Amino acid sequence: MLFLSFWCLMANAQEKTVTGRVLSEDNTALSGATVRVQGSNSRQTQTANDGSFSMKASKGETFIITHIGYDQLSVTVGDNAVITVKLLKTNTQLGEVVVTAMDIKRNSRELGYSVQTVKGKDIQETQRENFVTSLQGRVAGLTVTPTTGAAGASAGIVLRGYNSMSGTNQPLFVLDGIVVDNSTLNSNSQGGSGIGLASDLPNRNNDYTNRIADINPSDIETVTVLKGPEATALYGSLASNGAIVITTKKAKGTNGKLLVSYDNNFRFQKVTRFAEVNNDFGPGSPNGIPFAPTASASGQFISFGPAWAAGTKLYDNLHHLYKTGFSQTHNIGLEFGTKNVGFRASGQYFDDHGAIPNNTYSKYNFKISNNTKIGKYITISPSFAFTRSKNIKPLKGTSGTGGFLLDLYSWPANNDIRNYQDANGNKKLLFNTNPNLDYDNPIWSAYNNVSGDFSSRYVSTLGIDINPFSWLSVNGRFGYDTYKTDGYLFYHPQSYVVTAANGGQLDNYYRTYKGYNHTITATVKKTLGNFSGRLLVGQMWQDNETDQFSVLGTHITDSLHNGAWYSGGKALAPGFNPRDSNITQVSSRSRLLRNYFGLPNLLILRDNAYFGEASIGYKNVAFLTYSLRYESASPLPAASRNYHFPGASLSVIVSDIIPELKKSTFLDYAKLRGSLAHTARINDPYSNQSVFVNNQSSSVVPGFTYGFTNANEKLTPERQKTYEIGTELRFLKSAISLEAAYYNTLCTDQIAQGYRASYATGYILNTQNAASLRNQGLEITLNITPIKKPDFNWNITFNFNHMWSKVLALPSSIGILNDYYNSDTYISNVRGGLIRGHSTGTITGSTYTRNNAGQILINPGTGLPVITSGNSLIGDRTPKYTLGTLNSFRYKSWTLNFLWDLKVGGDIYNGTEQLLNTLGKSARTANRNTPLIVDGVLQDNLQNTTNPTKNNIIITPYFLSSYYTTMPDESFIQKNVNWLRFRDITLTYSFSQKMLAHLKAFKGLSAFFTGNDLILITNYHGGDPAVNSNNPGTGGIGGYGLDLGSTPTPISFSFGLRANF
Amino acid sequence: MKKIIIKSLLFTGLFGIVCMASCNKKIDDAYRNPNAAVVEPIETILSGVIGGFTAFYSSAGTGYGVQADGILLGRYIQYWGTTTNGENYGQMGGAVNSDNTGSVWAAVYYGHGQNVNKIIQWGSEQQKWDYVGVGWAIRAWGWLELTNEYSDAPLKQAFNTSLTQFLYDTQPEFYDSCRAACFRALSFLNRTDGAVSQANLAIGDAYFNNGDVNKWKKFVYGTLARSYIDLSFKTIFATNHYADSAIKYASLAMTNNADNAVVRVAGGTTSQVLNYFGPFRGNLNTATSTLRQSSYIADLMSGANTGAFTGVADPRRWYMLRENLNKTFKGVTVWAGTTGLSANDYPQHFYGNAVPTSNAAGVPDSSRYLFQNTSPWPLMTASEMQFIIAEASLRKGDNATALTAYINGISLNFDMLTTTYPQNIPAAAVITPASKAAYLASPAVVPAAGSLTLTHIMLQKYIALFGWGTQQTWTDMRKFHYTDPDPVTGAQVYANFTPPTGTNLIGTNNGNWVYRCRPRYNSEYLYNVPELTRIGAYQNLDYITYKPWFALP
Repeated sequence: MLFLSFWCLMANAQEKTVTGRVLSEDNTALSGATVRVQGSNSRQTQTANDGSFSMKASKGETFIITHIGYDQLSVTVGDNAVITVKLLKTNTQLGEVVVTAMDIKRNSRELGYSVQTVKGKDIQETQRENFVTSLQGRVAGLTVTPTTGAAGASAGIVLRGYNSMSGTNQPLFVLDGIVVDNSTLNSNSQGGSGIGLASDLPNRNNDYTNRIADINPSDIETVTVLKGPEATALYGSLASNGAIVITTKKAKGTNGKLLVSYDNNFRFQKVTRFAEVNNDFGPGSPNGIPFAPTASASGQFISFGPAWAAGTKLYDNLHHLYKTGFSQTHNIGLEFGTKNVGFRASGQYFDDHGAIPNNTYSKYNFKISNNTKIGKYITISPSFAFTRSKNIKPLKGTSGTGGFLLDLYSWPANNDIRNYQDANGNKKLLFNTNPNLDYDNPIWSAYNNVSGDFSSRYVSTLGIDINPFSWLSVNGRFGYDTYKTDGYLFYHPQSYVVTAANGGQLDNYYRTYKGYNHTITATVKKTLGNFSGRLLVGQMWQDNETDQFSVLGTHITDSLHNGAWYSGGKALAPGFNPRDSNITQVSSRSRLLRNYFGLPNLLILRDNAYFGEASIGYKNVAFLTYSLRYESASPLPAASRNYHFPGASLSVIVSDIIPELKKSTFLDYAKLRGSLAHTARINDPYSNQSVFVNNQSSSVVPGFTYGFTNANEKLTPERQKTYEIGTELRFLKSAISLEAAYYNTLCTDQIAQGYRASYATGYILNTQNAASLRNQGLEITLNITPIKKPDFNWNITFNFNHMWSKVLALPSSIGILNDYYNSDTYISNVRGGLIRGHSTGTITGSTYTRNNAGQILINPGTGLPVITSGNSLIGDRTPKYTLGTLNSFRYKSWTLNFLWDLKVGGDIYNGTEQLLNTLGKSARTANRNTPLIVDGVLQDNLQNTTNPTKNNIIITPYFLSSYYTTMPDESFIQKNVNWLRFRDITLTYSFSQKMLAHLKAFKGLSAFFTGNDLILITNYHGGDPAVNSNNPGTGGIGGYGLDLGSTPTPISFSFGLRANF
Repeated sequence: MKKIIIKSLLFTGLFGIVCMASCNKKIDDAYRNPNAAVVEPIETILSGVIGGFTAFYSSAGTGYGVQADGILLGRYIQYWGTTTNGENYGQMGGAVNSDNTGSVWAAVYYGHGQNVNKIIQWGSEQQKWDYVGVGWAIRAWGWLELTNEYSDAPLKQAFNTSLTQFLYDTQPEFYDSCRAACFRALSFLNRTDGAVSQANLAIGDAYFNNGDVNKWKKFVYGTLARSYIDLSFKTIFATNHYADSAIKYASLAMTNNADNAVVRVAGGTTSQVLNYFGPFRGNLNTATSTLRQSSYIADLMSGANTGAFTGVADPRRWYMLRENLNKTFKGVTVWAGTTGLSANDYPQHFYGNAVPTSNAAGVPDSSRYLFQNTSPWPLMTASEMQFIIAEASLRKGDNATALTAYINGISLNFDMLTTTYPQNIPAAAVITPASKAAYLASPAVVPAAGSLTLTHIMLQKYIALFGWGTQQTWTDMRKFHYTDPDPVTGAQVYANFTPPTGTNLIGTNNGNWVYRCRPRYNSEYLYNVPELTRIGAYQNLDYITYKPWFALP
């Protein structure tokens, strides 16, 4: 949005020059407010960035001051030549302009679908460096799941539930009309034919930042969330999961002055939640006999030995791993503008030493943007942004693959974890002379089994707007988004995870992303009598290419000096640099397929589309919009590559059609809306192709064999049909506003990727249009302003969301009781499997075997339950509802905003507890000395008769640890997990102009305190129920609600200053 | 003003028009996976397929082949067992909810599968008839191995890429298809026209027959011979004169150890090029199951079996088996593990750690026979062919021919050990021509022609195939229903062989011995359920006890 101030030079003799400032209720300057002399259309101006204006007027004339989002104010010019006014925020969104698809600005009255906007200021207030995580609770129907509580952790974002069972469910991110990348590295490389790691790891083993976190939150003006496909029909298949439309701050007219702003933030973080651990017993075998630990499958201590002898010194290891994290943020902004040219430059420095040892995340951002008006009709707005980020973190892993948190939980209490290395930095050995057979101390592991990501990103955008007539505009948005990321996963040669013969392991990757896209639209607007018409046509082109080199090597060359690298987390050996893949033995290296020829592996996606949108408005009270998009996308075979889909929406302002409704003072505004749309979704590039991968069997030439995936040249795009109906109501002078929407999405011809069928195909995995599901939901946003006075204001917003879904069809090869799953979500045996007739959130795993009456069967030989292995339905992660409650108070110079996030219902799989159970460390194993009889009936061939034999076999788990170790997955599902989180709170004090008068340098100054995740009230027994066992690079439903060894979200306190010069 | 309109519209339209032409091309260019080929030279495909005989090793799947399954099936036939009491396979249990015993399934359908199809298809297009013949030979071997291990399986619908569920065919159809594939293989291997070239075949075949078409033909004949001798229990064996067919094809197959079909590995420092059974890969001494030779084979080769070769210490035991601290040869009871073994009788594992109870690999490496890092792996040997001739001849009543073949079979096996596997044998135990001759001169081993029995033949074959011929030995034993008596002598053919019974037999077998493996779990049990249900494999826990066609009259 471009606000240019200009003068109206119609003057007469009595006029004087009145100068003034327009401030918002919290005393911050309001730029872009319109100051108009009543009765004159030509005598108006807009306030500059510091809120100032200057206008010629005569005494007695009245200024009408307006600003979008604020109540209109009238001021009569008196004798004073200087006036200061304060505008109050309005709840009325009447006439509010929202940015929708393609950077099109539309009046919210016209929209037949749900759009929700979050202000940049609210995002910035949370001080969250990954701005995605600040959206949770602020938008109905939007769910954010952070992968872990680590610094630099990724966060997944899902709008209106999961619509794709194997493709991504992440929305499209659009920045100033440009599509920008938000991928998270998927470490799976499909046998080297894709762009993952050379080691072809599942995603559950590590996390990588989702790349939209590269955006500087301080540059954000607004975030508009387009939830349904009808809103995004214009973006086509890329936005079939909705779109997050980001508008960045632009330079406003500063009358040639340079405005400077600076703010900072200092944050402290602490991990306060842990899994429930029992520390009463020492290592030992199932019958309570202590023994030297032998190779357990997971590389962790088994504590089924005797209770610690009296007087044994025990350590509170749980509280010795994490430390107090500290981060600092510094933001600087510069703005300069004249009549036709505006510049804005901003920079951010962020540096975070997280609560996890050896976990750092630092980021530099720089952005410059410009608006230039050329001639009468043309405006160009180029921008350039640069981000450099660096993230070091201990490998997340699951058991046995370097997971430091599980190592911590299982560590014997008689050993102090802080004593983890000797003077030379060697791993301290506890029971084996070979370091590779001695288990990894969690702190040692955090410092030595590490991953790193280093990223440099450049985003260039160019907007061109040509408005030759009031009825015609031609707009172009051109963007080039590119980044280089390199990183590593490093296993120390002394780690238990690798063998001595292995000599350490290093996975390196070097990725380059290049994304070009443009959107060119022409819009014609015409009003004829009672009808207003708008026609938009356009073209969109997207060309994304990811190049990747990946190398896996073992035998770290420095490993001859075992352990001499680190002391207290610092590398000692000069030249040791895990970013360099040359430090492994040459003959041990393996690569992605094309890397063997010195070329990067590629992932290319190209998409071309033509689209049009026509809308007709009648008397500004009813609006009908129809859109159509023709699209052609490269991942599909030629025969099905071209497809199109329509969308239509209707908006009716009932309150304006039937004025009687407004006669009572109760109702101000009523809108009914409805929309329906088709959209398509495409497969991942190459997923329908059968290719050769390396075969490393003995051969005199490089060998090849077919990879896992069957070819399917008949693949077509999956189809998604949605309809949405909704209403927007405002009552009591907009003191209450309510927005409600119901949507229904049917996804058919779902592309099931990577599912298994009989090997008789000649392959193992298949990609087919073979599934369907339906998603429905109800979203309500209620906004109440109980108090609205110049000095005191209170506003509450509720965002309510209730979703339900059903899997209608799965590939026919999958048994009726069996599940479709993404193998990435596999945690030991539990996985996010989909079953026909159930929701998309189901969890499958092993169960108790039951008789026809549902009683648990007991093995008459052991007294233990009989287990049905495999994957049956054991839980459903889908919450019953969620409710975000946002409170906003303002009293004089104080503002207080806070957000509660409530989730009710939904099951969580506590994989951490299951693992600890098998290790004798979970809280469940505490009373192992108490004899018990498992409730159930004996499997003695009477179990299904009318008189089954009640189990009467007494067992003492202390002598029969298989009671714990064989418990089925089912028993680690915690049903109906609720939480109430105190997500964000910010208290701000703005210094008054009077106080600042002494500090001449400042135009504005405020101080704030912010807290994040301070309170979590939950019935969950584990660490943090809001974690994800996978990063969002995993396709399909992913691993939300599956908890295994993820660091809980830390609590944080921060404070800082905000200043304008 | 007009100009501006025109300019504006041109601006919009220009990209559209430019894109119409170039965008479609660019989109088309981006369709194919640029990282991996959809066509590779068949020479580069064959080497991986050959690796799939034993233990496939690709970036998309490893371990498929006879070796991984052999570790488990060897417990059914008591070649070896684990040290654990009550171990599932030692108790003749089958794989439940696991891919165990599914490696041959994966090798035939996936490891070989479409790769073999492409060798045949592209080989035909390129007139590389030798490759085409090799492709059919591998397919023939695969059908026989597959049906002998799993009995019923997809055949007619196999490799139809547009199906996701497959109907099963019966064992006789597999036998027919195997033979049909054999004859096709021979017809192509006999061709010398087109682009047939020993040097070119040797590129893909370097670690098997090194481009020698004649050796491939012998491999095909050997497969045919197996396809007839495997039916020796059936009534059609006599009525259809299958004994003659077995003798004919066994005679055309490998006749000396140089003809043997042997999969070799290149050797190196990575698993890919090392033997699956070797100490580097460590598949026989894993934390959960460490193999030791069985008491049955140990006794048989020590002269301790009262029903066969009694009192004769077989010189080959030092090559194939491992000694204990007493320097004698004892073994585990496959269902009971080491229960009952005294400390000094505890055999070393196959990697020869000096401390027999240790599971760690021996240092220095003292592995012998098939258990070395670079051991060649026999897939079919001249010795085996002689035992086929011996069995068929004996069944025909031609005792003289049978005896000659029997002696040849033993002799060839001795020679294979001394020439191919002389490594790490204690000097005192090295086989000499004298010790071999002494063994053959023993009447308990080589009787007069008239006294030759199926026990002699089948047990010498059992020894000669030890370790590598697990699948074939299991077929042999199943056609004798493990404990069938010799129709001539009335004594059990596999003398004193005791399969588990009572509580030592897995309960779900309902008192019956194992006769087949379940279809691979991750291929069929989740994704081909209706058909598995039809044949009973899905719902019936005792499916593994269903006798295959070859074991029925």
